[in-house]
Amino acid sequence: MARVVGVDIPPHKRLEIGLTYIFGVGRTTALELCKKLSLDPGMKIRDLSEVQLRDLAELLRKDYTVEGELRRSLAADITRLRDIACYRGLRHRRGLPVRGQRTRTNARTRKGPKRTVAGKKSVKGMK
Amino acid sequence: MSRSIKKGPYVDAKLAKKVDKQIASGKKEPIKTWARACTVTPDFVGLVFMVHDGRKHIKVQVTEDMVGHKLGEFAPTRVFRGHTNKKEAQKNR
Repeated sequence: MARVVGVDIPPHKRLEIGLTYIFGVGRTTALELCKKLSLDPGMKIRDLSEVQLRDLAELLRKDYTVEGELRRSLAADITRLRDIACYRGLRHRRGLPVRGQRTRTNARTRKGPKRTVAGKKSVKGMK
Repeated sequence: MSRSIKKGPYVDAKLAKKVDKQIASGKKEPIKTWARACTVTPDFVGLVFMVHDGRKHIKVQVTEDMVGHKLGEFAPTRVFRGHTNKKEAQKNR
């Protein structure tokens, strides 16, 4: 078990993959980190030395926005949009898709589980 | 695809002129405009616009946070007040 940047405990995975367990680190950033510290992306997390772990944590803290800090800044961005009452903010308030997707069908990720409306014709019936 | 940086932000020429005039003369009434595509620049802050929504003009008080957005983003063109309730629809018949 290795702890990098607070709570993250990437297990017996390859470095390249294990690092993506950190919020704000994907494949691209993971490879970038490996390159910067000249570590082999294919090595296992458990094979990292104390020093290497410390270097990794240090680098993430210094040059990257991850975990709590990233979550906070994202939330702040959305709050800003909500407060200025622009179109995107209004979509966030209503819990509808923000980027112009259709809402006649689909959009279930934003709208949540289906709420069946009594008496509504089915999609087949509409054609 | 975002706008080329070379061009700078789109600011409606007529509206910019009106804004300059209003800043020069001190604050007065809201500026009526149809230029929904116009970007809000820092010198718009504190002014009040009446942005056309296709039917009427919506009052928009520009704050610092709005810089970089388009005026049209603050004047929704669609009004959705919810679906009709079936029971109520029958009562109204």
